[in-house]
Amino acid sequence: MIQNFLTMNGYGLFVWGSFTLTFVMCGLLYYKTLKTLKKYERDFAKEINELSSERKKVVTDNSKIASQVLSSFSKTF
Amino acid sequence: MLKLLNLSNIFFWIEKLIGFINSFFFIFLLIALSFALIFSPPDYLQGDSVRIMYVHVPSAWIGLASFTFIALLSIAHFIFKLKNIKLITKSIAPIGLMFTCLALATGSIWGQPTWGTWWVWDARITSMLILVLFYIGFISSQKFITDESKANKISSIVAITGLINIPIIKYSVDWWNTLHQPASIKLTGESSIHSSMLVPLLLMFFVLILYCALIFLMKYKTEIIKIKKKNLKRL
Repeated sequence: MIQNFLTMNGYGLFVWGSFTLTFVMCGLLYYKTLKTLKKYERDFAKEINELSSERKKVVTDNSKIASQVLSSFSKTF
Repeated sequence: MLKLLNLSNIFFWIEKLIGFINSFFFIFLLIALSFALIFSPPDYLQGDSVRIMYVHVPSAWIGLASFTFIALLSIAHFIFKLKNIKLITKSIAPIGLMFTCLALATGSIWGQPTWGTWWVWDARITSMLILVLFYIGFISSQKFITDESKANKISSIVAITGLINIPIIKYSVDWWNTLHQPASIKLTGESSIHSSMLVPLLLMFFVLILYCALIFLMKYKTEIIKIKKKNLKRL
């Protein structure tokens, strides 16, 4: 039964090949997207952290996104 | 309504949605794969090679739907000039390109045991290849043209021109003699696919749509951060 499942009655190479290709590509796109997102979040948080404390307060008070990124960044590290 | 379209609110909801989709994605993926690879029956003519359909057809649907959506949003961008629209189309395009390429690749793999060839220059396959070129044109114009308004204009023109190709892809199997079979699933009228194959197909489509939503939200979030980073000095 397991052998039948793996060989797919002679079509195993085609069926498994298609599914593997699809999921590997999806995995790669997910990895690349996540990596880019984390890079921009990190750079953005770093830039805010480099500001003077007064300026940093102004930025986080005026931008919800800045304060969200900063808090999620400090949670991660 | 306008408050909901505010980038800060959108950003807040993106975070929530990513968490929500992540919480059940793998459960649905396991269910869909079990149906596609184990529970669905082999075809009486094609045998087990029919299972390729469960990745090929949803990929083609997503590729087509993404481009249609990009083109319609590009028309809206021409009319309303909303920057948010461009962020959305920019985030969708790589997903659509990947799934169109996957539809071509898995179709080619399916073609070998079914038709005895990896590739034929028939109407459906050629028009899908043209769609890939439109995607590449759209993404390249966004990426390589430095002047933002010029890039937006050119990419919109590419997308709107490419819209002509969508009905050609859809009806190519009816208009020309092709190796490709006519549509088995119809929105209007009776589908010629049995429910034992339709259920796994729809499940796989649903899972891939969830995946697309996840990638789209992450890309959209990245685009918002890019804008905020650029505008940091003005805050």
